[in-house]
Amino acid sequence: MSKTYKQVPFAAIVPSPTVSNEHMVTGNWRYLRPVVDKGQCTQCKTCWIFCPDACVDFSKDEGVDFNLKYCKGCGVCSSVCPVGAISRVPELDFDE
Amino acid sequence: MPIKKRGTGLTAVADAWQLADIDVTASYPIRPYTAVMAEVAKRIANGLMKCEMVHGEGEHAQFSIAHGASMAGARATTGSSGVGVAYAFETYSPIAGGRCPIQALIADRTLDPPGDFGSEHTECLNLRDNGWIYGWAENAQESLDNSLMFFRIGEDPDIMLPQIVAMDGYFVSHIAQDYEMPDQEQVDKFLPPFKPQFRLDVNNPVIMGPQIEPEMGPPLEWDRNVVMDRVKEKIVAVTEEFGKIFGRKYAPFVEEYMTDDADMVFLLQGAHAVTCRSAIRYLRQAGYKVGMCRLRWFRPFPDTALKAILPKFKVVGVVDTNTSYGAAGGSGVLLVETRASVSEVPGKPLIQGFTSGLGGETITHEEFFKMAEMMKMTLEAGRIIQDAVWVNFNDYLPAVSEVQAAEQQVAQTKE
Repeated sequence: MSKTYKQVPFAAIVPSPTVSNEHMVTGNWRYLRPVVDKGQCTQCKTCWIFCPDACVDFSKDEGVDFNLKYCKGCGVCSSVCPVGAISRVPELDFDE
Repeated sequence: MPIKKRGTGLTAVADAWQLADIDVTASYPIRPYTAVMAEVAKRIANGLMKCEMVHGEGEHAQFSIAHGASMAGARATTGSSGVGVAYAFETYSPIAGGRCPIQALIADRTLDPPGDFGSEHTECLNLRDNGWIYGWAENAQESLDNSLMFFRIGEDPDIMLPQIVAMDGYFVSHIAQDYEMPDQEQVDKFLPPFKPQFRLDVNNPVIMGPQIEPEMGPPLEWDRNVVMDRVKEKIVAVTEEFGKIFGRKYAPFVEEYMTDDADMVFLLQGAHAVTCRSAIRYLRQAGYKVGMCRLRWFRPFPDTALKAILPKFKVVGVVDTNTSYGAAGGSGVLLVETRASVSEVPGKPLIQGFTSGLGGETITHEEFFKMAEMMKMTLEAGRIIQDAVWVNFNDYLPAVSEVQAAEQQVAQTKE
């Protein structure tokens, strides 16, 4: 019996996802967690622009938050923050 | 009205890009490619061309810029030479696999060492397994015509593949010659605007080059394999249509010269065909029944055409102006591909390899005469006398005469 392969679209071009992909959870790769000090944060959204995986959530009421289900902990947000409001805390320091 | 011009292969390609109304070109200087970038910049400054010119910080960036522009729906071009072509290597498979039909101009230059400026096909042949379609032009006119034909074939919705207009550095790219720049109306009739089915568009977002699941890899590669067969059909149709519109008729795959009654042929590609033809005229006067087959395409390789053509001859001398150290047969890439094309054909000719014209050297008449002489010896012997002939290094002319003398001696002692 010959093997059946998954259908592949032309050049693997797919519509932009509108929901998160449950098959590609990457948050468990992270060993340093980004933590924002909301007192220092100026809401400039530099981290929101730079995050390579679109894991920075922003709302006017809550300010900056991170989507920890997908954040790999690369630290770009912490590096680009102009006021040093984002620190990287070892995952083992957290209970959950 | 088409305009008669005197220029080089690079100004001819700039003419083609102007006529094709390219949207983006990405540049980075390296000889001999540089002249086309200077030419395009001048035309933009003079208002002849409306196109965005982006200067990369290296060839890898250059090809990536063209890749991105193509994803956004632009008709994009770029190009390079020699080590620059090698530096961009990582980008070739993603561009072809992402089915972005950019056009690159590669004016050949020898790879290092020793920092030779002259033409050698090696750098461009190195990327033969990455899914780009390409072939060599022998003069300025053909490079202009190839550029237009390649756009048309590569951008066809059934194909969508990047193309390389390859030419011998200096021989084609820098020697002034006469050519004809076609009329804008003719080009508009031949080459429709580039309208890809998918492009990066904020109103209709798509992901190009996403992380796919492992099981989707092989079918994606199968698609890239199958499209190459479609390219062959498209080449035949487009070359014919080109001839009708522009009045210049090219053989789709293999140009034959004086092959009607030939026993032996030179098989080569690119500018050395010009010298080869005139050498053949002398050889004909001296009684050699010799002709020439010039490949117009390297990818897809014209194996079907060669299967039909080559059995007409007894000896084929493949002239490699490239190196592939350690390759089967001890010569270059063309020898391997040519032998593989006809290996299963009954009545196939003897195929022997010559390496010549490296490092930008011309292949002189004398060298073509020498090769013809060696081919004649092979013809008379009915077998390959010596594989891997590097002309001027290990020619077997003297060796064969020694063997003949020895055989005569043996024959005499037996009498």
